[in-house]
Amino acid sequence: MTIGKAVRPEKQALTPSLGDSLPKSKGGSLHPLAATLTRLLGPRKVLSNLSERLNYRYDAIAFGATPLCVVLPESTADVVAAVKAARAVGVPIVGRGAASGLSGGAAPTEPGLVISFTRMTRLSIDPVRREALAQAGVITLSVTEAAKPFGLIYPPDPASFRTSTIGGNLAENAGGPLCFKYGVTGDYVQGLEFVDADGEVHSLTRDAYDLAGLLIGSEGTLGLITQATLRLTTPPQFTRTLMAHFAEVGQCAEAVSAAIAAGAVPSKLEFMDRACTNAIEDYLHLGLPREAEALLLVDTDGNDLETVEEERALVEAACRNAGGTVRRAESDAEAAQLWQARRSVSPALGRIRPQRMNEDIVVPRSVLPEVVREIRALGDASGLHLVQFGHIGDGNLHPNILFDPRTESLEAVHDLAHEVARVAIRHGGVLSGEHGIGSMKLAFMREAVDAGTLAALWRVKHALDPHGALNPGKVLPAEEA
Amino acid sequence: MNNDIRTHHPDGQGELMAHAVDACVHCGFCLPACPTYALLGDEMDSPRGRIVLIKEVLEGALPLYDAAPHLDRCLGCQACVTACPSGVPYGELITSFRGWSEPQRQRSPLDRAKRASILKILPAPKVFSLAARVGQFAKPLAPLLPNALRSPLDLLPEHVPAMQPSAAFTPARGQRRGRVAFLVGCAQQALAPNFNAATLRVLARNGIEVVIPDGQGCCGAAALHTGARGEALKLVRANLAAFNPDDFDAILSNAAGCGAGLKEYPAILHGLPDEAQAQAFAAKVQDISEYLGALLEDGELEPPMPTSRPLKVAYHDACHLAHAQGVRSAPRALLRAIPGVTVLEVPEGDLCCGSAGTYNLEQPELATQLGVRKAKNILSTAPDLIASGNIGCHTQIQSHARRQGSPVPVMHTIEVLDLAYRGEL
Ligand SMILES: Cc1cc2nc3c(=O)[nH]c(=O)nc-3n(C[C@H](O)[C@H](O)[C@H](O)COP(=O)(O)OP(=O)(O)OC[C@H]3O[C@@H](n4cnc5c(N)ncnc54)[C@H](O)[C@@H]3O)c2cc1C
Ligand code: SF4
Ligand code: SF4
Repeated sequence: MTIGKAVRPEKQALTPSLGDSLPKSKGGSLHPLAATLTRLLGPRKVLSNLSERLNYRYDAIAFGATPLCVVLPESTADVVAAVKAARAVGVPIVGRGAASGLSGGAAPTEPGLVISFTRMTRLSIDPVRREALAQAGVITLSVTEAAKPFGLIYPPDPASFRTSTIGGNLAENAGGPLCFKYGVTGDYVQGLEFVDADGEVHSLTRDAYDLAGLLIGSEGTLGLITQATLRLTTPPQFTRTLMAHFAEVGQCAEAVSAAIAAGAVPSKLEFMDRACTNAIEDYLHLGLPREAEALLLVDTDGNDLETVEEERALVEAACRNAGGTVRRAESDAEAAQLWQARRSVSPALGRIRPQRMNEDIVVPRSVLPEVVREIRALGDASGLHLVQFGHIGDGNLHPNILFDPRTESLEAVHDLAHEVARVAIRHGGVLSGEHGIGSMKLAFMREAVDAGTLAALWRVKHALDPHGALNPGKVLPAEEA
Repeated sequence: MNNDIRTHHPDGQGELMAHAVDACVHCGFCLPACPTYALLGDEMDSPRGRIVLIKEVLEGALPLYDAAPHLDRCLGCQACVTACPSGVPYGELITSFRGWSEPQRQRSPLDRAKRASILKILPAPKVFSLAARVGQFAKPLAPLLPNALRSPLDLLPEHVPAMQPSAAFTPARGQRRGRVAFLVGCAQQALAPNFNAATLRVLARNGIEVVIPDGQGCCGAAALHTGARGEALKLVRANLAAFNPDDFDAILSNAAGCGAGLKEYPAILHGLPDEAQAQAFAAKVQDISEYLGALLEDGELEPPMPTSRPLKVAYHDACHLAHAQGVRSAPRALLRAIPGVTVLEVPEGDLCCGSAGTYNLEQPELATQLGVRKAKNILSTAPDLIASGNIGCHTQIQSHARRQGSPVPVMHTIEVLDLAYRGEL
């Protein structure tokens, strides 16, 4: 089994292949593209030193090819200039936000131009229309922070919301704990502006063909998003939090299914297994139950306190029936701590093993107990460190395989990842809930998507990116010859 | 992050650096915490970026001179350490890296002379005091000087007080409850002698006797963080010889930077024969606020007198207290223990004030931008008093607050407590 050509989880083959055919940082000649762009945009917006370029070849999961040149645009016009210059010399273009992506999306598969949006941070709030106009590089959390004085919020809340950008969120159609009740990023996009593969600017709303919908979740392969109009809402007046823990992972999934079947619509339903709980304890020392095999975190919210409490009681009963122990968060501060814990799960796993293979499967809720048990069993049988957490209310699970490449076989890791993907597909699930396909899940796409549908996806790609310049090697496995 | 640093650098420091690089999962959680990333907005000047640069240099894939400008801009504030869920010991990484790389740096003669004199002057209180006085007279000339020479002058307070040597032994007042050793610090003695005087008074008042062991010197942090590892090792070993941890309940420092430096001794000596000795020593090291905070928690702190009027105190978290030593609640609790005091939280409180060690001298522009931002943030809370636990922050905040036209006094947490004990607040 192979994964994306030049992109691997981590940088196995990186150092040896580094210098070849790369422009030297000092004394050597600049790549002509860097020279052109520096002339067009000025030196502040163009990075060409090796030390600079080396830092724009990775995201939070993978390392890729070192770019020839990096542009830090400050306006849509800068993006247009950069795209046209890259097109003129025929090099690929990869968009990049905060590089917190977990599917290798922002890691280039071949040397080219990286356009990093972190300096496009203009943001304005229109309280009357309940809208935010955000440039691509705006940090997710700042939208809600800017909206707060007007009594508004921006609900999409990926665990990375302090770091990730709106552009990256749109490109991945990011979700988060709140999406069970409030939906994902795409549900809040009223319109967007993007630059196409030829450097033309387009403004889209959601009428006529939903082209904006197509761009959302396209992982930078159909166009570069420069700004978006986002819908804001009012925050719920009341929120109640509870934590439950279980002696077995399947029980936790049973509790979730039962609570939802009983009519509860919690705003957040998150689960983590024992290894996650322990990694978090090592970081935050909150007194979480280290012995429990599964931990469930639940928020119910709304404007009617009685309903909010009733829903919490429904969840509580479901948890107890499934054999769980329940604890209510007694204060806002305690609830905030528990949620900070949940947000830190993913990076805290680095304490167990330095590297990981990260899955993002979604399965129907009805099969959740079976799926988590099957995956647990696969992990136990493999001898590798497999952990699970995720937005269990949506059936979105993140089984992660933690490993040390010096002592554990990469082949075995990939085999296990493949088995996990198969469990999802077998139970009528999909490969990606929110992190995207990127390069990490490319290898599973042929099994997950039938050939006819893949061909249709390719036709869309050709229509919007006829030269294959935008983020090549992502999302779609190569066309059969 | 996969690396083969161990093969290139098979000693204790190599092991340490390899482990830190390994532990980073490049998630980017540390980015919003980093002051230089906040100012510059590019990956090379972020913690994640710096870890990648260090890795590449250590593996021989990137020339040091190419990475150096970005590594030099790191304040060593360790805000990234607090933010990192994976437990990457970034502080140890950058310190070890600076020690490893400094001998290979090509620096201009002026630069070399500047660094050498800083390292000579800082640890020698008498010389520092003299230099500060001379500098005071040169202050009016500052606008005429090049930046490199101007910035140290800008930092000097309007008035440099006379040196006040501390007594080698301060007896406990009343019933004796403890015995501690005290590190007097260097620059601080010259710039703010009252910090130490207040510390001794407060400890005595609480029944703690204080010994200032002979032969102690600079903690070595400045040398270490500028990469002068040889120099630092000498200072570290002198202190290990001077302080016998078995003789004391605790070894106290009232300068966050020095305290953090002392706690770093085991990492500095990692893999060397005196590592165990360093561990025993570091286990006893506490910041003054940690030590008094524990007394407060046990209900044993002498109660301070109430203030004469309600007092709003903005507490500034020194990076070397909050991030490097994880001491946040104790100083706040001590201030709150003074009846009449309200503690104010500062917006962007986790962002460094820009005066990390010699940063003001080496990166004057970034240091100034951060200083301006910090002073604005603090003053936005409209405090009656500003408190912090580090001499570097103290001078930086004071000079920027004055420049922004604010006369609000800036004090060490212990000075506030001392005044409260004396009924002068
Ligand atoms: C600890 C951790 C927790 C996470 N939790 C969640 C979670 O709960 N939910 C979730 O959905 N994700 C989560 N993620 C994944 C990640 O944060 C999201 O995918 C996020 O949307 C990526 O945003 P970014 O700005 O970092 O984008 P990047 O990683 O920089 O890029 C992601 C993709 O978008 C493309 N792209 C970026 N900007 C643009 C643009 N302006 N135009 C076109 N294409 C662009 C890139 O080419 C790439 O394919 C998590 C990540 C981490 C590290
Ligand atoms: S938060 Fe920690 S693990 Fe994540 S990128 Fe920063 S240093 Fe690395
Ligand atoms: S120590 Fe401070 S300045 Fe240096 S990388 Fe960490 S957060 Fe940034």
